[in-house]
Order: sequence, then structure tokens, then C-alpha cells
Amino acid sequence: MSQLFLRRVVAVWFAAIYALIGLPLWYKLTTIYRAPLPGEYVSSLRENMHADVHVVVPVYVRSDTYKFPDIHRAIQAQADALLRSKPSTIDWSLQVMPAEKNQTLDLESDYVLTLVLDDFTGYAIPYDSKETVVFFDDTAVLSNDVPFFAAQTLIEHTFAAEWTHFSGSTSVQDENTLDIDSEMVISYSPTMHLSLSLLTGDGRPVAWDIESTLNQYFTPLRRFLSPLVNFTVDTSILPFNDLNLGSLHDVQDPSWQDLAHSVDLSELSSINHYREKNVVNLAIVFPSPEAGQLAFINATQDRPWQSFMVPQWGALVVNKEALPDNARITQDYLAPVIYSFACELFQFLGLSSEKADLSTPYTTIDSFKRIMTLKNLEQGVETLWSLVKLTNQFPQMSVPKRVLADVERAVELRLQAVELINDPKQGNEAIWNEALRLSNDFVQVCERAFFHKEMVQQNFFPQEHKIAVYLPLLGPISVIIFTGLIKALREKHGDDAEDHLNGKKSLKFDSDKPLQSEDTS
Amino acid sequence: MRANLVCLWAFIAARNSIAVNSIDDELVIPNETESAGSADQTCSILKSSNSPENNTYTVGKKEREEPEIVEELEIGLDGDTKINAVLFSNETIIKYPFGEELTLKPLPRNFMLASFAFELQSNNFTVGKTESAYDTYRHYTVFPKALSPILEYTQTRQLHLRFTHGRWDAESWGQLPHNGTKSGGNGVELWAVVEAGSQHEAFENWIMLANSLSGLFCSSINFIDVEKTTYPVSSFQPAEERTIPIFNSSNQAYLLRAALANEPICTENLTPFLKLLPTRGRSGISSLLDGHKVFDSNWHSLSIDVETSCNGDTCQYQMEENIEMVFNVPNSLARADNPIPKPVRDSDLQCDESKPHDSWECFPLPQSKHTNFQLSKLFGKKILGSNLISENPSKVCAQVSDSWTVYVGIDDDLFATDDNCFTIKNDQLHDIHLKSDNTAHLKECEDVPLFVSRSLTGYGQDSGGLRTVFSNPSNESVQAIYFESLPWYMRLYLSSLKIESDAGLEIGDVIKSTFYLPAIDRERPTHLEFNITIPAETTLALTYQFDKALLKYAEYPPDANHGFEIESALVTVLTPIHYEMRTTTLLLSLSTPDFSMPYNVIILTSTVMGLAFGTLFNLMVKKLVTIEEADKKASAKVGLKAKLIAKLKKLKGKGDKVNQLKKDQ
Repeated sequence: MSQLFLRRVVAVWFAAIYALIGLPLWYKLTTIYRAPLPGEYVSSLRENMHADVHVVVPVYVRSDTYKFPDIHRAIQAQADALLRSKPSTIDWSLQVMPAEKNQTLDLESDYVLTLVLDDFTGYAIPYDSKETVVFFDDTAVLSNDVPFFAAQTLIEHTFAAEWTHFSGSTSVQDENTLDIDSEMVISYSPTMHLSLSLLTGDGRPVAWDIESTLNQYFTPLRRFLSPLVNFTVDTSILPFNDLNLGSLHDVQDPSWQDLAHSVDLSELSSINHYREKNVVNLAIVFPSPEAGQLAFINATQDRPWQSFMVPQWGALVVNKEALPDNARITQDYLAPVIYSFACELFQFLGLSSEKADLSTPYTTIDSFKRIMTLKNLEQGVETLWSLVKLTNQFPQMSVPKRVLADVERAVELRLQAVELINDPKQGNEAIWNEALRLSNDFVQVCERAFFHKEMVQQNFFPQEHKIAVYLPLLGPISVIIFTGLIKALREKHGDDAEDHLNGKKSLKFDSDKPLQSEDTS
Repeated sequence: MRANLVCLWAFIAARNSIAVNSIDDELVIPNETESAGSADQTCSILKSSNSPENNTYTVGKKEREEPEIVEELEIGLDGDTKINAVLFSNETIIKYPFGEELTLKPLPRNFMLASFAFELQSNNFTVGKTESAYDTYRHYTVFPKALSPILEYTQTRQLHLRFTHGRWDAESWGQLPHNGTKSGGNGVELWAVVEAGSQHEAFENWIMLANSLSGLFCSSINFIDVEKTTYPVSSFQPAEERTIPIFNSSNQAYLLRAALANEPICTENLTPFLKLLPTRGRSGISSLLDGHKVFDSNWHSLSIDVETSCNGDTCQYQMEENIEMVFNVPNSLARADNPIPKPVRDSDLQCDESKPHDSWECFPLPQSKHTNFQLSKLFGKKILGSNLISENPSKVCAQVSDSWTVYVGIDDDLFATDDNCFTIKNDQLHDIHLKSDNTAHLKECEDVPLFVSRSLTGYGQDSGGLRTVFSNPSNESVQAIYFESLPWYMRLYLSSLKIESDAGLEIGDVIKSTFYLPAIDRERPTHLEFNITIPAETTLALTYQFDKALLKYAEYPPDANHGFEIESALVTVLTPIHYEMRTTTLLLSLSTPDFSMPYNVIILTSTVMGLAFGTLFNLMVKKLVTIEEADKKASAKVGLKAKLIAKLKKLKGKGDKVNQLKKDQ
């Protein structure tokens, strides 16, 4: 083996170890840890948002006078046909079942359709239960209209909210998502804070009979809404704050726009240390006597105030006149204010739009639970998708294991919730409460994953630092290895013969030397 | 059950549907036809369902002066029954638990102490009722809404917060206001009694409390961490007459304390203090407070104390807020006259005429003993009336000797009282006039029971010492507790504790008991409490040594060469009087590395490694030849250099020859 060849092999080996083992090892040891997120799964979830969801609501049919042995099948068929008639965002259907004889139905937790023989056809939905009463006459039975009529009543009236939101997909921009976003709606969370403030423009003492008013008018509402949202409530009196309404006094004939532009809610919004994520505010404002009366307020003697809604913040009750001296605001004043606020509260929660009334609170709240559960699922998936997109966009960003664990947990929660929703045998209130809770947890876990602080922190650690630190070592070694390799490769073959001889000589020389030294020793 | 609850609600709801028609940028206005006066609304008030058509309204005259007039409306219903809906009643006089007082106290050498004190109470709240219970409502009137939730979720039963800056000249000014209990060391000081099941839980609550207060008071209180927190044993104890309520009987109360030495205090800290008051700095004595003036003073202290007091299950918070400052009156007045300092004209110079004086040379006279000024000049504003919400109107008191006359000015009239205390009435502008012929004649300042000063000794960057001098000027022996919390990077040697005393006192004579909790690196500060007795008319010094630790690279602050602020020590005098005082803060310089060094080390190491590797690599890859061979090869290969050398040799040879010839000739 020629010496040149040997030297070349050595140089190539060095370069190969450097390039094939050293560099990958260095890269591996110095790269930022990025947990493998299930990106494809998340993006497929987002593309087919509710593909695996099929909402099934069981309805029990009972008939008091006639026995219809197969009425539930007929209603089922009619209901399915009706639902198919409209394109739906989310698959949903009713599971119509006959009420067994011995089965006791709880009207407050199960949907019950009661068929009542009467002189006319019609329906009624009582406000204190989840019962739907359908009245029919004998002609309807003869012409076999009862199943269609029952199905129509159920879908278009009892499940009106689902009918509009799940089936009536009016939004153009995205067919896959629910659209219940009114600009008023404060994003849903299971606990909310309610902050009621009484603001006066001056420092004179004021009092209000708020405790008794709230206990009488607001406690029932809190109890009623408790499966959906739990409120914590505080009230406060804030003197010397008229939300800058005093500045409108000088304006000639101020308009609503002026009001919108001059109202200053910063102080009310900034001093909150509530533990709840979302806050709904009610501010009752009295101008100061110096500011004079607010001419634009459409007030009457028994109702000297006007209510305004501030999107995603709360309600503003503006009074026309300043308070009299030493005033105690009585329940007579506060009750209409609280009532009006409660109506607005439903809008802030997204429970009702401006048109809808709450004549059937039981079914409305139940429907709202369903819509919110699905909305939550949607929101969580969007968050996960944003997380995946973010990590893809910033290749330098670290993705800690915790984030991966959270994402996995979120996906698991979502599957649990979907499983509950899809089960046709379980559709009672407890199941929906559970599904709502799961979906709330899902949203929370998704957000925890998204807002993991290490991800952002590491993103500001520039890659150049790594180069700067390692260059003093890697630079010289690279230069040595590669120039050595090139030199060895470029050495001419002409030299080789000579080298070969010389090599032999030198080898001999080399091998002689130790022998000599051995001899001498 | 639920049906009944909903009944009332649904009934009202069914009858009303609020329609919202117009939406503009910000606000949505309910339909005006629905908005006012419809009987559907009043039905819910009156809980009857009469028809709306025949309502008649009569409204009482609106005359604000007449106390009996009530805005009222009478709704005629179907029959003869008339129900009065009274919107605003004024039968009871509304008063809230709030009190405020301003005390002015001239001090020697034309200084003046202005001390603002505010007291307020929260509404009652019930222990053990969760916030989310359907009938739980929290009410706030005068007590700040911002503070209460923080206290609740951190389970804080007592909160004490101090922002202090400047030097209190105890030798000349005497005792600190409120016996020193309302002022902290330079910087920010926080201590609290927190209820918790374990010390760990208490600490978590404490950190949460610190972070929340940090946001509330726009200050760096969030820098309080495990390295700064101590659990005082005999100092900072809550007053004995107050029992600390424990809401959950399985819990305990923990006292935690931390300080941030020399934390700058500025206007943004004062504004939250004013926001906590029900008057919000817009009326009463707080209308005087202005950041520019408060922080222009020689010494100022802002403090908050919140305590929980319970009567059975009903509890309430009691809060005291104090804002105190010491002005140099002539300087402040001069600044008010002349915001931009200009040299005094030579005609206005007051020179000592017994000494040479002209336009260029002047020995100033001692300060004039006459003074006449108004509070509005000192603070830049007048008092904007009284607070209107409390039983006690705002009060201003001046603690002066007979040489002073104090008037209150309302409009152009001046009034005086016997005790120099004035009540601020209604919403008129008030001003206080202070006048004196002999400013040196003052009300007796109460003497301080003990003087304490602390300083760093030693030099070098690896060790140092602390020396604390106690001096008892009185003829009574003083019993006190000395509390000191030192950062872990001062490695204290308690064994080096020595006493220096002219009277020949031993350590055992002075230090009666010691509590010492050594520091753990990055986990706990040194916590030292001495129970000391200083004999009458004695001065002594305690010294001890410490080592300076090296910090990690990332632990240095951005301005590492500034040094590290060491918080002040607290001395709580127990006898003869209860008094608290603090030493000044210290500035400790640690050895600070050259921060480019790590990179230099990297480069140097890399170079060495590169050299070693290069040698090894060359040995293996380069051709090895013997010297003879190399020479042979070099001679065989005639390069440019060899040619040049040959030519030079030739030339030299010729030259030599010529020289030889010349020599020969």
C-alpha cells in the first residue's frame, strides 16, 4: 500500500468522521427541543370541524288518549326528512322513543312530547319544563298529519336554537363553523364576574338598596343560570367618576356617536383583580350637578335613565339628572334597572339575540348548552391549530414536553366530549352538563398549551449565538481537516513513485532506528 | 323547585321583549319606544299586572335646598289604590366610615412635617360563604374594591406596606411620626399576616400577594421572592390587643416580611394611593397631594395598613393610610416662586455685614426667624372642601408653639381657633396661613430613646464586616429587638460577633437572646434577631464579619457595578416606650466579573484545542521524510530561491575576485 494512499485514507476518514458523526452530533446536542405535535391530526380536525360529531337528542313521545303503537317511528321519519331538507353545519337528529308505561319521565330533565286530543291542532311549550304539548283533532289523525305536525313542532319550536344554528348555516365565510358571534357577546366561560357600580360625578354621599334588590330580583336568576354559568357579584359606589359624561354638557345636541366617543370606561375596566376570566359590568352613572342634566337622555319621570350596551363590556345606565343631596336610591329605582340589565345579560351571554325572548327558558338554556359545547370544541380546535401553525412558522421555537402533554390531553378530552354528544342513548341534562364541562376543560387545556411561556421565551434566543460560541472551535478544526484533505488529494502521482521509494527508505529508516537503539541499549 | 324559581323570571320575561334596533360603533340603544315608562317595567317593580294605559304621573317639585322634597311618582292604577314609587329617598343621613386629618408640625431649622392620615372601613362580609353562592353579594363603598379581592384570595389577614425615601434627622427632628410604626426603611417594605395550612401554602399566597400589589401600586414588589422573604419571630408582631381571625380552624397565621432596599419611589406610586381613597384626591385634604410636591420633600413615607377584625362570622377590613413628608419650607417656597433656579440679584443678597462683602463676595446671614406662608404655596393647591361622605369632616391641625399663629382662610376671610385645629366645611376652598416671629421656638420634640447607625467595614472583594452602633442618650436602660435580614451572598460569621464598648460591657450584658437562621444559597436570607438591652447613657458597637459570595453569571443585575442594596435593619424599642426605627440601607460591592470573559475563555480553549488537533492531524496526514532526504530533495528541485542564491553567490564570487585582484595590486 502506497504511503500517499494511506495518508489520503486517513484524511478522508477524518473528514468523514467530522461530517458524518461530528456535525450531526453537534447539531443534535445543540438544537432546541421540539416535541412532535400531532399537526396533521389537528389540521384535519380543523378542516372537517364537526365531521365526527353527530348530536342526538332523545325525545319521549306519549299520548294520553289514543294509543299510537308506531307513532315514534313515524315522527322519527318525518323529523329526519325535515332535517335533511336543510344543509347543516353540524349533524344532528332527534331520537324519538316511545314512553314506556312504567317509565316515569322527569319533565325537567327529559324532552317529552305529549300528544293531546283537542278540538283544534296546535302546540304549547310550557316555560317551566321541557315538555312539548301537541294538540290534535280527529281529522288530523285520519289524514295522518300528526307525525309531521309533531316533528315540525319539535324541530322548529322546541329545538329552534339548534335549527337556526346547526342547520341554518347562513355564514358565507366558513361553512364548517358555527356563527353565533354577535358583537355584544362576551366570550363564554363557566364562571363569570359581575360588577355593578354606582358612579356619581361628585363626592356627595350616596347609598343604594342594592342588597335587597339583588336578593329579590337577581338571586333567582343566578340560581337558574347556575348549570351554565356561575356568577360572583360585587357592587361598589364610585364617587368622582362620571365616565367623562360631563364633557358632553357643553356639546350642543350631542348624538349617540358623541357619547360613544367620549365615554371613558378605563377606570372601571382597569381596576379588576377578579379571579374569573370574564367580567360583565353594569354602571349606573349620575352626572355631577355642575355638569347639569344630560339633554340627550330620553328619560321620563318614573324612569329617569336610559340604558346602553357596550359591546363585550356590559351595560351603561345613564341618568339624565344629577342625584339630589343625601340620596338613597331605592328599590323602586333599582328593580327596573336590574331587570333591564338581566335582559341585556342574556344578550351578553349569547343566550338570546335581540329578537328572541325567553318564554321557554328551560329549552333555551338546554339548547344554549349544546351550542356552547360545540362552540367550545370549535374554539379549542382553532387554538390547537394556531399552536401547530405557530410552531411550524418558527422553526427556532422550542416546544416543551408539557405542551405535547397538554395537546394530547386536549385531544383526549375532545374525544370524550364527542363520545358523550354522539351517544344516542344518553341525552339527558346531566350528560349535557358533563359535555359542557368537558368542552370547557378542553378549551382551557388548549389555551394552556398555546400560552406556555417557554415557547416564546426561547424564540428570542437567536441562532447566531450558537454559531458565535462554537465558531472558535469549529472554524480551525474545519480548516485543518479540509485543507489537509484537499492537499492530500492534490498531491501528484508523479511524486508517488518517488514517494514510494522515499517512503520505503524512510520506512526502513524508521524501522532501523528503534533497532539501532535497541542494539545500543 | 326550580320551576318556582323560574316562575317569576319567566313571567316577566314573557311579557317583555327588549328590542334592540340601532347599533352604532360603540353603543346599542334599546328601542326608544320601549325604553321608558312602560308599565310592563313598573309591573315588575310593583309586582302587579295592571294595564298600562291609565298611568298618571305627578312629580314633586325639584328643589335641592328643601330636604324633604323627594322625587316621586304616583301611578294611578285601575282602582283608587295609589302606590308611590320613590326613586330617591333622603330620610336617613348617609354617612360612611371614613376619616381624614392633616397634621402640620414645624420642625427645627425651618423644616415642617406634613402628615396626612386617612382611616376607612370596609363593608361587613361573612366568613365561610363562598362568592359563588347564589345570594352572596360583595359590596364596596369607601373601602377600595381593588384591594379587597387581593386580600381574600391570598387569605391575607393583615397587610402592611411602606414606601419610604429620604433621611429622617432624628437628632434634630426627634421621634418619627406615629412612634415610627408607619414608616419603613428606604425603599419598599411589605409584611403581612397570611392564613394558610402550611408554610409552603403561606409562601405561595405571599408571592401572589406581592405580585398583585406590584400591579396595583406600579412598583417592583414582584421582585420579592424566596431569597428576600423572612418569617419574623419577635419583630413586626401584630399589636397584642388585636387577635388575628382565622377563617378555617385547621389553618394557622403566618407572618411574612420582605423589603426592597432603595427602590425608587415616585409619582406613579402616589397615584394608586390616592385612587384607594373614596375622595380620590378630588376633595378633602387629599386634594393637596401632588406628586411633584410630595416627592420634592426631604423625607417622605407612604404607608398602608389593613387589618381584619371579626365579630363572630362577620368581618370587616380596617385600613389606615398615611402619607407623610418633611419639607424645607424656605427651599420649597423659593421653588414655588422660581421653578427654574436663578442666581439672586446682588441687591437681594443678604450678606453678613460684619464680614467683607461686595458684589462678588458675600457671607450669607443665618436664615431669618420670621416666616409667613400659606399651605397653598407649599402644595401648589388649596384644599377643595371637605370630604362629604363621612361623619367627621376633614380636619387640619397645626402643632405649634405660642410663637406661631395659624389661620384658616376661606375665600378672603381668616379664622383662628384655640387649639389650632380647623374643620374643613362643605365644598369651599380652604387655605391655611402660618406665621411666626421665631421659627426656632417650637413645640418640644420628643426625644428618641435610642440612636442606631449601621455601616460596612473592611475592604477588598472577598470579605467585609458590619458595624452597628447603638447609643442610648437617656438615663434609662433601653430594651429593644434588633432585626436584620441579609442576603445569602453575605456569608455571615456569627462567631465573629464582637462588642466594642468604652464601659467594658460584654456581649452577654447586651444581647439577652438571639434568634439566628443562617442563609441557604438562593433559598433563604440570613435572619437575625437580637434581644438587646442598652444601659443608660451608653454607646456601644456590635461588629461581625462576613464573606462575599460569588454570584452566577446570570445573577448579576444589569448595572452590576452599582453594587447591591442591603435593606435596613429594624430596631423595635420595647421599654421605656414603644418605638420603631430603621437604619439606613447599605451598598455592598461584590466582585463583579468582566462579562466578556466567558467568550474569551471559549476562544482561548478552542484555540488550544485547535492547535493540538492540528498537530496530531498533520502528523498523520503529512508525509514524513528524513532531513537528508529533505535536503536532497530541496537541492534536486532548483527553485526560484535556489536560483537567486546561486546568482547572488556568483555575484559575490565575482566581487570577491575583484577585491582579491585589487588587494593583489
